[in-house]
Amino acid sequence: MLPSSLAVVLTGLGLGVGALAVFAWSWRRGLFDDIPAQADLVFDERDNRLERPWETAEQKADRRRRYGELIAPEPGEWGGAT
Amino acid sequence: MGRRHVSRQDATLPFRGDVEIRLRADASSRAPALVFFSTALVWLLFGSIEGTLASLKLHMPDLLTSAGWLTFGRVRTAHLNAVNYGWASLASIGVALWIIPRLVHTELRWPRVATAGAVVWNVGLVIGIALILAGRNDGLEWLEMDRYLADPFLVVGGGMAGVTLLATLLARQSGHLYVTVWYTIAAFLWFPVIFVIGNWPTWTGVESAAVNWFYAHNALGLWFTPMGVGAAYYFIPKVLGRPVYSYQLSILGFWTLAFFYALNGMHHLIGGPVPTWMITTSIVASVLMVIPVLAVAVNHHMTMVGRFGALRYSPTLRFVVLGAISYTAVSLQGSFTALREVNRVTHFTHWTVAHAHVGVYAFVTMVLFGSMYYIVPRLVRREWPSARLIQWHFWLVLAGIALYIIPLTLAGGFQGLAMLDPAVPFQRSIEVTRWALVSRSAAGVLLTTGHAIFAYHFWLMVRRRGPTREVPPFHEPVPVVYERPEGQA
Repeated sequence: MLPSSLAVVLTGLGLGVGALAVFAWSWRRGLFDDIPAQADLVFDERDNRLERPWETAEQKADRRRRYGELIAPEPGEWGGAT
Repeated sequence: MGRRHVSRQDATLPFRGDVEIRLRADASSRAPALVFFSTALVWLLFGSIEGTLASLKLHMPDLLTSAGWLTFGRVRTAHLNAVNYGWASLASIGVALWIIPRLVHTELRWPRVATAGAVVWNVGLVIGIALILAGRNDGLEWLEMDRYLADPFLVVGGGMAGVTLLATLLARQSGHLYVTVWYTIAAFLWFPVIFVIGNWPTWTGVESAAVNWFYAHNALGLWFTPMGVGAAYYFIPKVLGRPVYSYQLSILGFWTLAFFYALNGMHHLIGGPVPTWMITTSIVASVLMVIPVLAVAVNHHMTMVGRFGALRYSPTLRFVVLGAISYTAVSLQGSFTALREVNRVTHFTHWTVAHAHVGVYAFVTMVLFGSMYYIVPRLVRREWPSARLIQWHFWLVLAGIALYIIPLTLAGGFQGLAMLDPAVPFQRSIEVTRWALVSRSAAGVLLTTGHAIFAYHFWLMVRRRGPTREVPPFHEPVPVVYERPEGQA
């Protein structure tokens, strides 16, 4: 006897197995090869050089060392208003 | 004179390649994103008023009962559909239309199609909610809008926005996919599947209930959740200027959600006339959700460690972090509530209502507010006019949702225990919730006021009432446009 919710079971499994297939395909395509580069995709160069007022002197020095001289943020830079 | 051009070798020049790409991406999504945001805010206001009215009726049952369209059954249903398909869905799509082009380093493809999609989606909503208020309703939770007259507009409108995002993804200039892209694109692939399955007209009886909860739970888990978590994975690192703590963990979180979430919904039918093994499967899947949830929670927390001071400076971060914390809370609460021993107390109580609001409001809506605070200035090229209005908005909605969730969760527990005790009359299980229902109405007033302030502030922005500036904000004042030398391929 078929369960009364066969549609749910089949669709749920279909979505899970479909995800597994996409994961395998992505893996073979090398979409998980360069993890650090993926994590940095969110930034552009300006992001890295913005001076963030909440950062400590050490954190700012580290940012300066890695990305060069810092630049001042624009008013409202962090989603707010001046 | 050559045409404007960006190539990889130019990225070595200060800002030029990156910022140019970002500006072009923002410009391409400007019109559709603003249309999605504007209409989302209209639905947020409408849904808030309807929700507050429905809440008042729970402890003032004689309020506004003279007309059918003002009765609880219609008002509450209109609220649910307006905030889920109006506010949260439209705003989420707006965020997606802005984020994806940025992350794949190209312009949004066919932006006019996306804008038209917003119009079509809104037409469906107007029809569906008007019919609900007129008393015509499909009778399924989260699927009340007419499946023949309203829902096709949502499928087509959402599809139009989704097609533009998929075309943009296919035209990507970045070699990699950031985790936000995975979450967002997956949501656009999952939602049409669950929406069509949920609305399929052949289900009857028990099967209909099972499919209904399959849909309703997945609408949160496979539509709103990936949109919200994806946005949080963008904005937290972006504002802080540091990558997520563990990118591997973010990937693990996404794929475990994709593998396990779809079977979650059946735990809403614990005690119902469906096979026990199916309920147990759903409970197991619900508990497995601890994996992606902890992956996201640990990642967001560790990304924030040492930078919590940023919350003072960034309204975006304040809203998004609050939303991210709520995601952890609502998900762990959901896994806990799915256990049979807990569910026998909380089922059919206000606990579930509070739980739904932790998800759709404290998590999804907070992330959307934070996202819009970041995005809208970059679309209209001016900063928000008033820091004070942002403060009012934040504290009103924070107080409102706290006043909503905490009392209603507690009262739900009391209500469930009273209903389970055969020595306690049923009337008593109602009386123990009354204080929380009053608190819920007060919360509704606070939330609606906060939303009105946000909508007014947004209106000031798009009407260009903010402070005037000599240069557009958020990119360096030196122009990044340059010319390709004549004759160069």
